Amino acid sequence: MVAAPVHAEHVEVKKITITVSAAASLSKVYTELGKQFEKANPSIKVRFNFASSSSLVSQIQSGAPTDVFAAADLTSFNKLLATGNVAKQPKVFARNSMQLVVKPGNPLRISSVADLQKASVISLCAKTAPCGVYSATVLSGYGVAIPESKITRGIDAASTLNAVSAGDADAAIVYATDALLAKKQVAAIPIPVGKNVKAMYGIGVVRGSKNSKQADAFILFVLSPAGQKVLNTFGFLAP
Amino acid sequence: MNHVSSRTPRFVRIGALVGVAFLALPIVGLLKRVAWSTLWTQLTDVATRDALRISLYASICATVLALVLGLPLAWCLARMQFKGRRFVRALVLLPMVIPPVVGGVALLGAYGKSNGLLGGLLNSLFGIQLTYSLWGVIVAEAFVALPFLVLSLEGGLRSIDAKYEESAAVMGATDLTRFTRVTLPLLKPSLVAGLMLAWARALGEFGATITFAGNIQGRTQTAPLAVYTMLESNPEGAYALSFLLVAVSVGVLVGLRDRWLGGGSQ
Repeated sequence: MVAAPVHAEHVEVKKITITVSAAASLSKVYTELGKQFEKANPSIKVRFNFASSSSLVSQIQSGAPTDVFAAADLTSFNKLLATGNVAKQPKVFARNSMQLVVKPGNPLRISSVADLQKASVISLCAKTAPCGVYSATVLSGYGVAIPESKITRGIDAASTLNAVSAGDADAAIVYATDALLAKKQVAAIPIPVGKNVKAMYGIGVVRGSKNSKQADAFILFVLSPAGQKVLNTFGFLAP
Repeated sequence: MNHVSSRTPRFVRIGALVGVAFLALPIVGLLKRVAWSTLWTQLTDVATRDALRISLYASICATVLALVLGLPLAWCLARMQFKGRRFVRALVLLPMVIPPVVGGVALLGAYGKSNGLLGGLLNSLFGIQLTYSLWGVIVAEAFVALPFLVLSLEGGLRSIDAKYEESAAVMGATDLTRFTRVTLPLLKPSLVAGLMLAWARALGEFGATITFAGNIQGRTQTAPLAVYTMLESNPEGAYALSFLLVAVSVGVLVGLRDRWLGGGSQ
């Protein structure tokens, strides 16, 4: 019997993996945050689960193993507080706003939300997703009512934007941060602050997490100056 | 039956039982979630009715489209030797193995109005826009359903003994009578099975449809899209519609019972 070679210098600390369920609008920035966090904490591995915050709420409520939840609104946390899936109020870690996006070159000459009547297909988030709620607020602020027959519903913020960037939808109301990431595929039209929303992003540990210490460490990193700097480069505003 | 089971090792039988449970449990779980008292109200809700109407109409049209495109394809694959036959065969199977969402992206690349290979032309010449239209749903569903029909028909055509058709030809039957009087009756079992499978696949389509035709209630929102969209806003409605889709699938299986159910040991 040959003895197995021993690499004393390769003895690694057993890595602990935490699962972070985060809003779809956070996918790019959180992937980057995860990389930096893992670099600073070699013993922790971060696994992400991106979907619309409302889908994530249902997943967590039905027992999906999750350590950290990061949502695009605070209502999602209220739902989890009500069902006892989180113990504390969330920490607000970023702010976002909505933007109107259209096809490059703006062929329909849409200059504001009030012009949306010109579009034949408008992409909006599912009514229950935070981005769906935010866009409904924006539309009602303008007093614009779009018939359901002109609205294609994306299942999350990312797919809502895809309908304009890859598909044939004429316009979409999406997060400013998503519009920034897709600036080569779509043209963005800002929505003035007075008519816009303040989308507050919350983060917290999910009750039942077996790695709450590591989960806390990740949350602290997101809130730290280093984490905030990353969020800022991706267009998120300080809370 | 007894003769067979006495020779089947116990661990195989236990394995089979686990398999049965694995398949049955989700169905039971779904049935448990259906609110039977409000089932009818949920199924007659406007959004649900719209979704059912669109699903039924689009899936039938998609099956017809798949038949029109699939029968000649199956015929050539079964009975002709030609260069590139293997390539065509792989192409036919492709929609079956690629993820439906990818199928939707590919369809956008072909028929999208703003940046599709053919879509811009279709729109500028004929004013046709497939994306976000009922025709888009039909095209997406036909795209994913076609392989099932072609495979079934190809198998059927291969198994027909050529001498029946030849003797009909010798007796002076035209191509058309030969097809309708000889080939078609012999092909019927595979045709029916292929149509049912293609239709069921079209009815259940999700990824290609939402990517290519969007999710517009009353226009392109099919039953599976409605289930997904309603799951958060109106779970009761989503379960009711899911139940109906399962019931329809069971109906398809009953329709195919001669072919699949109870096969072998009747």
